[in-house]
Amino acid sequence: MNSQGGMTRAQVAVFYLVMTTSIASGIAIYSSASTATALLKTATAGLFLPVLISLIVSFLLDPLVQYVEGKRINRTISIFVVYIFLFLATSLLLLIIGPPNWEGMIQALKADFPRYISHSIKYLNGLLMIAQEHFPFIVNYDIAELISSTSQSFFGLILKETPQSAMRVASLLLLVPLFSFFFLRDSRRIMRSLISLTPNRYFEMVLDIYAHVSWQLAHFIRGRILEALIIGVVVWMGLSLTDIHYAPILGIIAGATNLVPYIGPLIGMIPGLIIAVVDLGTGGQFWWVLCVYFIIGQVILDNFILIPILISRVSNLHPLWVILAIIMGGKLYGVIGMMIGVPIASILNIIIIEIRQYRRTFNPYNRYFSSRGKLL
Amino acid sequence: MNPFWSNIFRSRGYEKTLAYFLSTMPMFNKLDKRELGFLENIVHLRNYHSDEVVFNQGDIGSGMYFIRSGQVQIFNQDEHGTEVVQAVLEAGDFFGEVALTASRPRCASARTTEPTVLIGLFRSDVLEAVRRHPVPTAKIMLGLNRIIADRLLQCSLQLETLKRQQTLAKKQQSHE
Repeated sequence: MNSQGGMTRAQVAVFYLVMTTSIASGIAIYSSASTATALLKTATAGLFLPVLISLIVSFLLDPLVQYVEGKRINRTISIFVVYIFLFLATSLLLLIIGPPNWEGMIQALKADFPRYISHSIKYLNGLLMIAQEHFPFIVNYDIAELISSTSQSFFGLILKETPQSAMRVASLLLLVPLFSFFFLRDSRRIMRSLISLTPNRYFEMVLDIYAHVSWQLAHFIRGRILEALIIGVVVWMGLSLTDIHYAPILGIIAGATNLVPYIGPLIGMIPGLIIAVVDLGTGGQFWWVLCVYFIIGQVILDNFILIPILISRVSNLHPLWVILAIIMGGKLYGVIGMMIGVPIASILNIIIIEIRQYRRTFNPYNRYFSSRGKLL
Repeated sequence: MNPFWSNIFRSRGYEKTLAYFLSTMPMFNKLDKRELGFLENIVHLRNYHSDEVVFNQGDIGSGMYFIRSGQVQIFNQDEHGTEVVQAVLEAGDFFGEVALTASRPRCASARTTEPTVLIGLFRSDVLEAVRRHPVPTAKIMLGLNRIIADRLLQCSLQLETLKRQQTLAKKQQSHE
């Protein structure tokens, strides 16, 4: 009875039994795992943004806390000192300058927005007419209509989301200081206990790589945020010199979009240029606005001063990766995802570079000694 | 201190803490309690099985180890691959201090011979501590420096005696 490739009938039966049970248990584990991940997903749904922001905040505040700690003050108390100092500084600033009239500005923007859109559509239509003369097949595409409908729906979305996002901002104002307090106080302990889980043989390597990566990361994040802040403030100041409306909002847009390399600054310019053209015409003030955005903001400040000082070239990403990161971030988390996709990709890049560098220079399997005990 | 008073004020179980163990090390015996507590927070406690490799000759080292309990064997491999035991270290000894201040390749291998608890002090932690708490870290590094300088002094004294013996032996040979 040696059929089926040299197995007896009993062996075949056992084989089938084992196969079916393994497949069944595999399916069971898979399905339970997928429900577990689904549960995890719903449980952590709104937490991504607050945790990310508080991580960034704790990276930013860490030097200040360290400075206070250097005065022989306990770390918990020094975090409180930094918090109180920041609170006092912002309220003092608001008292001196006076808070910008955000609500009035948003109301005015709501009224003005259709005007800007219609102007830019008119301008685009003019361009289209010229294009159609040269390339007649464009007639089939109603680009202006497309733009107007998408921009209307986009603006409607913003209006609809404003109360919701106000709720979200309120919850962020509560959660972010709390989370970043704990991150600031306990991050060292958390990371130490995580690192202590590594096996003895790789412990030294992991500790070294962690030290390198965290140093690079801290510099990168601090550099990016400071760069965005400075660009935002400079654009705000520069635009305030003209008669343009909404200089603070345009400054915020310029700073936020500056987080995305290559493409971000260009996109951040567009609203400012449109508003300048519509309200101020293409006179001297428009050229000044363009100058603020392009020459002062991007060329002089960003390329010649900020990037060399704040950000090491190690973390530069290839433009292709930038585009991919923007697209993937947008798919995952919408507009916010587009903004944080590139920094997260750069963080991964830094981690990979550091590990590769470590493996090259600190390779534990590489013999630095020849057999005679001399340094090679 | 008066043994009577020190007996009253000694907190119970202090001998078993990591801080007490560190204070018994020669390089840390000038630190006060606060600095010992600080040191306690930058070292890593690692448990090893018996016959486990701590590091191999030629590895890039990133720190030094103190033996809290157990036994560690330091050995080299000669050109035939046979192991030459350089030292057997017991609780209270330390090794690997060459790699603490700069990343140097380990010049010997270390292996535990019984279940061992090691206390690791690593360069990255020391560098961070220098930034965060310069004063106690400076005291810790000065203590380490003292011990290493002592060893260097001993080494050069030994070298001198060896040289003297060699010249003596040469003179005797030439006389014969």
